[in-house]
Amino acid sequence: MNPFGKLKQSNYQIAIISVILAILLAAWKPHVLIEGIQRACLYAVIALPMALILGIVGIINLAHGDFMMLGAYFAYFFNVYTGVDPLVAIAPALLAFFLIGIASYRAIIKYVLGAPELNQLLLTFGLAMVMEQLANLIWTSRPIKLSLRYVSASAAIGSFTFGTFEFVYVGAAIIVLVGLLLFLKHTSMGQAALAVGQNPRGAKLVGIHVDRTYLLVFSLSIALVGAIGAIFMTRHSIFPLVGAAFTMKSFCLIAMAGIGNLTGILWCSLILGLAENFVLSFRGYAGWADILFFALIVCVIIIRSRQRQVK
Amino acid sequence: MRNSRYLLYILILIILVTLPLHTGVYLLNVMDVILIYLALALSWDMLLRSGQISFGMAGLFGVGGYAAALLHLNTGVNPLFSIILGGLAAGVLAWLVGMAVLQLRGMYFAIVTLALAEIFRVIVRNLPDLTGGPEGTILPSAIFAGNSTKTYWLVLTVAVVSVIASEIFRRTRIHFALTSIRNDEVVAKSSGIDVFKYLVFIFVITSAIQGIIGGAYAHIYGFVSPEGSFSIDFTLLPIAMALLGGMHSTWGPVVGAVLLGVASEFLKLYIPYGHLLVYGLIIVIAILFFPQGIVGTLGQRLKKPR
Amino acid sequence: MAVLKTENLARYFGGLAALNQVNVEFRENEILGIIGPNGAGKTTFINVIAGIYLPTEGKIFFNGQDISGLPAHRRCRLGIGRTFQLVRPLQGLSLLENVMVGSLFGKGLGQREARKKAKELCEFLGLSDITRDITEMTALEIKKMEIAHALATQPELLFLDEVMAGLNSDETMEMIDLVRKIHSRGITIGIVEHVMRVIRELTHRVIVLDWGEVIAEGPYGEVSNDPRVITAYLGEEA
Repeated sequence: MNPFGKLKQSNYQIAIISVILAILLAAWKPHVLIEGIQRACLYAVIALPMALILGIVGIINLAHGDFMMLGAYFAYFFNVYTGVDPLVAIAPALLAFFLIGIASYRAIIKYVLGAPELNQLLLTFGLAMVMEQLANLIWTSRPIKLSLRYVSASAAIGSFTFGTFEFVYVGAAIIVLVGLLLFLKHTSMGQAALAVGQNPRGAKLVGIHVDRTYLLVFSLSIALVGAIGAIFMTRHSIFPLVGAAFTMKSFCLIAMAGIGNLTGILWCSLILGLAENFVLSFRGYAGWADILFFALIVCVIIIRSRQRQVK
Repeated sequence: MRNSRYLLYILILIILVTLPLHTGVYLLNVMDVILIYLALALSWDMLLRSGQISFGMAGLFGVGGYAAALLHLNTGVNPLFSIILGGLAAGVLAWLVGMAVLQLRGMYFAIVTLALAEIFRVIVRNLPDLTGGPEGTILPSAIFAGNSTKTYWLVLTVAVVSVIASEIFRRTRIHFALTSIRNDEVVAKSSGIDVFKYLVFIFVITSAIQGIIGGAYAHIYGFVSPEGSFSIDFTLLPIAMALLGGMHSTWGPVVGAVLLGVASEFLKLYIPYGHLLVYGLIIVIAILFFPQGIVGTLGQRLKKPR
Repeated sequence: MAVLKTENLARYFGGLAALNQVNVEFRENEILGIIGPNGAGKTTFINVIAGIYLPTEGKIFFNGQDISGLPAHRRCRLGIGRTFQLVRPLQGLSLLENVMVGSLFGKGLGQREARKKAKELCEFLGLSDITRDITEMTALEIKKMEIAHALATQPELLFLDEVMAGLNSDETMEMIDLVRKIHSRGITIGIVEHVMRVIRELTHRVIVLDWGEVIAEGPYGEVSNDPRVITAYLGEEA
């Protein structure tokens, strides 16, 4: 697994074009640029843990977004019963979901690691359904929201105002990405994880405890996604199905960036986030924004399969 | 030996066809639901035999429903014919998606199909003039004016068609192709099988069946809507049924559908909102503990004494 | 005319040349041995000719026709068959049905004919009790089934990839006879082997691969004395 994207000549050209487009966008529809970046980082920060699991443990977790949903509900009830702000609840959320990750791995995930991909897909699909339906049973499908004063913070540049709270997502995305990269490259646990991701049997031969690595990576990923749920809770209304869309968009990003390319996820999320907001800015066509990720993933798949034709 | 089996099937068929003569409307409606899900479960299993999972049943089911309903409304086409057209529409869509995505298969294909229902829901919501938008469209009348006997026969026909299709997939060369592809694509290719073409073919046929089922459903209940026609129920239940009963067979999904169909009628009495949870649990438990399902595990046990 | 001819065939994986500048001819109804040390590219060679990989460079001609871009299943139908080193029988099908897959799709026979042909081939190769489960077969039987499966596609050119691996002395003798029987049906055979005794007894000519390149070519007697081959790796004398 190569956590760093490769820089080539053509990438510099793409970067320059992107900067020019960004400036044009800022002039024409600044809302799209700002909100697009914020949204993109929300997608990225959710997709990164999923990419981690896929790249290292090799399992696709269709219940990923639902763990985020649980994190959001966790933060909500934490707030209701203790009055603690959800952003502060990130800490207990991380701990709680790390434990939940351990439990899920031990009880369930472990058993399908060796099984065909089919079984993994079906199992995590079933898990997602169970989580969503359980949430629906316990908390009903009525959306709930916290009204926190600071989420409506905004700033103005000239006559153009924009929300500033959402930059929290940008911060979170950068922290998580940098944190993961540092972890993978500069800690022995991280390097062991990389080794296991590339070659589990080889790693075992040199003495790396593969199962424990899987456990750690899986739980870390769940912890992160639960904590992100807490952040999400501050700004959005939540309901049992809120996570499902993020699972699919996360997969879209991973497919675009390529498995193992963590930095690429950030760039691809920018594409998705900006594109969605761009479409949203046209009054009559706003409803179509949710199809974009699908169009993107189909295009990516078509392009990838052309590449693979060279077998 | 063979003949007694066929006699059994014919007997079952006769019982099923004459059911309306000695049961009431309630039971017929329960049978309707069971048969619809049975057909869906079979169509899902047929694709599964090739090694690919589709989570898009709800999507293709809904497309069939909308196509059948809207064609009937806007062009006055006969409801029965519109159901076939619904299947055609679903098949064409599956062809487009399959051609684009089946080169990569596996999880890419599975997740794209997972997104299908949502995509169609969004499309339908955003074309209100054509589709009636978020509230959906109500048909002026249910098919056969709601006559429960004729409705039952329609659903029975659809279910029988699915059973026949499943058996065709099991008795012709398609069975060999599917099993080879599922086991090892390289071996399949080296045996002369055009893997991609077969996969697209299977996906299109099973999706067309799902579209027909959806079309029938739309006409029976007399309306289509984004939430109702693309409901996750239509993906979740058939999968649970096929897994419970046993994949890669005709009897498996049938057994699963009957068991779960009957069970859900009871479940609805005691836990009105929790039944979907049960299906999810069934899937999880089946994958973890008995991936062969009931029919598969029994079949193995019967073979064991050697 | 050569049944199969490769022209400057090359296959790269990333930067690594698994095959490079390979020019080989398979003459009609000959048995051509393909030997070389581990990792020399022998199986890759088969995979490229069979169509599992497309060549990165060069061309492949089958009976004069350029097949370099054809997908694997088309090449199979044209008449190129092969066995696999690591045999994975198809689960869910009986022994006979495994073989039938070849006859059904290799030449597009109907089910009844395909079954007949498969039965014939099983007999020809000495396989008995063919409707049984594939989970209870000996190594020799699995190999035979694999060959039957390849033969069922009615190949003109058949590649046998290490069919002798894991067989004892008697079984190897039986297999050598079988290969001769197959050859007598007019099939051109390419045989990859590590067991030199087999190569010595069966082949008309041998090519030696090392690091993806052909380093020697000729009858076994010549090749086994070629200093280049000896230095590269001669393989075990069985």
